[in-house]
Amino acid sequence: MANSNLPRRIIKETQRLLSEPAPGISASPSEENMRYFNVMILGPSQSPYEGGVFKLELFLPEEYPMASPKLGRICLDILKDKWSPALQIRTVLLSIQALLSAPNPDDPLSENVAKHWKANEAEAVETAKEWTRLYASGV
Amino acid sequence: MDSEDDMHDAHDGDSLEDFYSGDTANESDDGAGDYDFMDNDSDDPDHVTSHRQQFVASFCRYDERLEDGVEERSMFPEQNYTVLSEEDIRRHQDEDIARVSNVLSISKGSSSILLRHYNWSVSKVHDAWFADEENVRKAVGLLVKPVRIPNVRVLTCGICFESHSRDKMDAAGCGHVFCSSCWTGYISTSINDGPGCLMLRCPEPSCIAAIGQDMINKFAYHEDKEKYAHYLLRSYVEDNRKSWHKTVEDGWSCLTVDVACPCAVTHPSEVIKGRADIITSEFGTFGCDYAVDFVFGSGSYDVSCNCSHNFCWNCTEEVHRPVDCITVEKWILKNTAESENMNCQETSLYGVPATNNRLDELQMQEKDAEETPHPQTVSSLILANSKPCPKCKRPIEKNQGCMHITCTPPCKFEFCWLCLGSWAEHGERTGGFYACNRYETAKQEGVYDEAERRREMAKNSLERYTHYYERWATNQSSRQKAIADLQHMQSVQLEKLSDKQQQPESQLKFITEAWLQIVECRRVLKWTYAYGYYIPEQEKAKREFFEYLQGEAESGLERLHQCAEKELQDHLKSESTPTPGFNEFRTKLAGLTRLGLLSLTPIPSLRMTNLIRNQPNPT
Ligand SMILES: [Zn+2]
Ligand SMILES: [Zn+2]
Ligand SMILES: [Zn+2]
Ligand SMILES: [Zn+2]
Ligand SMILES: [Zn+2]
Ligand SMILES: [Zn+2]
Repeated sequence: MANSNLPRRIIKETQRLLSEPAPGISASPSEENMRYFNVMILGPSQSPYEGGVFKLELFLPEEYPMASPKLGRICLDILKDKWSPALQIRTVLLSIQALLSAPNPDDPLSENVAKHWKANEAEAVETAKEWTRLYASGV
Repeated sequence: MDSEDDMHDAHDGDSLEDFYSGDTANESDDGAGDYDFMDNDSDDPDHVTSHRQQFVASFCRYDERLEDGVEERSMFPEQNYTVLSEEDIRRHQDEDIARVSNVLSISKGSSSILLRHYNWSVSKVHDAWFADEENVRKAVGLLVKPVRIPNVRVLTCGICFESHSRDKMDAAGCGHVFCSSCWTGYISTSINDGPGCLMLRCPEPSCIAAIGQDMINKFAYHEDKEKYAHYLLRSYVEDNRKSWHKTVEDGWSCLTVDVACPCAVTHPSEVIKGRADIITSEFGTFGCDYAVDFVFGSGSYDVSCNCSHNFCWNCTEEVHRPVDCITVEKWILKNTAESENMNCQETSLYGVPATNNRLDELQMQEKDAEETPHPQTVSSLILANSKPCPKCKRPIEKNQGCMHITCTPPCKFEFCWLCLGSWAEHGERTGGFYACNRYETAKQEGVYDEAERRREMAKNSLERYTHYYERWATNQSSRQKAIADLQHMQSVQLEKLSDKQQQPESQLKFITEAWLQIVECRRVLKWTYAYGYYIPEQEKAKREFFEYLQGEAESGLERLHQCAEKELQDHLKSESTPTPGFNEFRTKLAGLTRLGLLSLTPIPSLRMTNLIRNQPNPT
C-alpha cells in the first residue's frame, strides 16, 4: 500500500495543512493515495482573479522532499531549480496564490493570459475576470 | 561574392601569424628569415629549384627521428605544451587551492569555493578579496564566523521533521540544522543533477551559506564523492580557458594556461587503437580526461592530446598547420556563406550558361533540388559520392580514399576523381608539372558589355571557389576514409596479414606507419587548398611556386594512398601463403611513406606566414 509507509514528514505536513489551513487555500489528500492532493485556491481579492476558485492537483513524487512536488504546467522557480527540501507544500501553494495576485508576464501561469497581459493590461484584466467567471466560480 | 576582398583581408592581420613562425616581425622584414625566398618577384624557374634544395637540407631532423624509431610525426621541432593527466591536473589544482588558502588565511574548503567562483584564477580571487572582502564573502557564501548550533539535547530536522539528538545534526556554519541522513539525501540529489552541485548552498531557502568539500566529505556516498571530485576537476580545466580570455582582454599577461582537450566536441571518432583511450565517462560527455598545459608565446599552436585528438590550441579547430587561424576562420565562414548563397541566389547570380562540367552539374542538381523539399548546398553537391565517368558517362561511385578511379568493365577508363582527366596524362609522366591542383582562370576574350563582363566574373569567381572547395573537402573525406581504414586494418586485417605472410605483427608496423602518414598528409594537403585560395591572383611567382610544391605533395600522396589501399588488398586476398612480392611491397610502401612526408614537408617549412608578412602591404 502506498499509504502504509508514508514518511513522517508527509504525514506532518498533511496534518498541519488540514488543522491550520493557510487563508484562501485548501489542500486535502486523496483517500486512495496520500501523496495526491486536491487543491483549491481562492482568487486573491483586488486581483483580476477575485471571486474565482482555482482547482489544482498536486502530487508528491517518491523522492519528495528531495524532489519538488509535481503541479502540472505551473511556472514557479521553486518547483524547478530553486526547489529546496526545506520548502513545503504550504510554501508552494502560498507562492501560487501570490502569483495570482500579481501575475508575472515573463513567468506565465497561463501562456494566453500572459500574452494578453503584455499587449494590453486592461484587456487582460477583463479576460482574466471573464475566465474566472466561466471556469473558476460556482464550485 | 567578394573573394577579391577576402583575399586581402586574410593577409592584413599579423599578430596571430607571428606565433606560427616564432619570429618577430622585425627579423623577417629584413629578409633574414630561413625561408624568406619570395622577397624578389622573379618568375625564374631556377629560383624554384635552388630553394627546393634548401628545403631538402632541412629534412634531416625528421629522418634522424625516424631512424631512432621514435613515433613522432610532428614536423615542428619544439613542443611548447604538455599534456596533463588527471593526476597532473589535480596537483595543479591543489597547488592553487593551497596558495589562496595561505594568502587569505582561510580553509582549503573555502579557498576551493572562492576559486570556483572566480574561474580558478588565483589573481582574480586575490584582487576581489582585497578590494572588498565582505562583498566577496556574500556573493560566494562564505560566512565570517560560524553560527553555533543551539546547545540543546534534541533538535528537529528542517527536512524530515524528525527529532534527533544534537550529535546527529549538522549545519554548514549558518546554524540551519539538518540530520545526517537528510544531508546525505540533499547532497546526493544535487551531485546527481550535474556539475551545478559545485555551487550548492544551504537547504534553507533564505540562506546563502555555501556547501563545500568538508560537507561533501562528511555526508556524500563514496561514488558521489568521486563524481563531485570529477566535476571539480573538469571545472578547473574548462573554466580556466574563459579566465584566460578575460585576462588577455584586460591586458594582463598569463604564462601558463590549462585547456581541456576539445576532442569530445570535434572528432570523437578519431580514436586510433594503440594510441588512444577516449574515456566514455558516465559523468558526462567529456571526450577525454587530459588537459593541455600550454606555454604561451612561442612556437606553434598545434597540440596533440594523449587521446589522439590533434587540435589548434588557439582556435580549437582541428590542427590546420600550415595555415594560420585567421585564414581558417575566414575559410570556414566563406564555406558557410557560399552554401547559403547557393540556396537562395541561383537565379540572379549563377543563372548563366556554364561551360564547366562541374558547374553544369551543380546547376542541374540545383534544378533537381527545386523539386525536393530540402534544397542542396554547394557542400553536399561537391561531396556527392558519385560522378559520371568522363568516357562512358555511367555514374561511378567513389568508395576509396585515393583519387585514381577506374571505371567498371568493360569501360575500365582510368581517370582522376577531381579533374576528371585521364590518369595516364595525370602527373609527371607527361613530362610537365602535375597540374590537377591548379586553377586557371578562363581566358576572357572577345568584346563584352558591362553586364556580360560582370556575369563572367561572377561565374569565374564561383568556379574558382568550387575548385578549391572541392579539393579541400575531398581531402577531408579522403582523410576520414583513411582513419576508418586504419582502424579496420589494426583491428582486423593486421592479424590476418600476419598469418598469411607468416610474419609477426611487429614486422608489419610499416603498414600502420603508412596509414598514419596518409591521415596526416591528407590533413595538411586539405589546408593547403584553403591557403591557396587566398593567395592574391596578382602574386604570380608566389602562386606558381606554391602550386608546384602542392602538386608534388599531391601526386606523391596519391601514389602512397593507392599503394596502401590497393596493393595491400592484393596481398590480403591472394591465394598463396606467403604472397609473392610481399617484401617488394614492404620496400615500396615504406619508401612512399617517407617520400609522402618529404614532398609535403616543404609546405609547412615554408612558414607561409612569413611569406604573407613579407609581401608589400597593399594598403
Ligand atoms: Zn543555512
Ligand atoms: Zn532530517
Ligand atoms: Zn584529448
Ligand atoms: Zn587555429
Ligand atoms: Zn567509364
Ligand atoms: Zn586531377
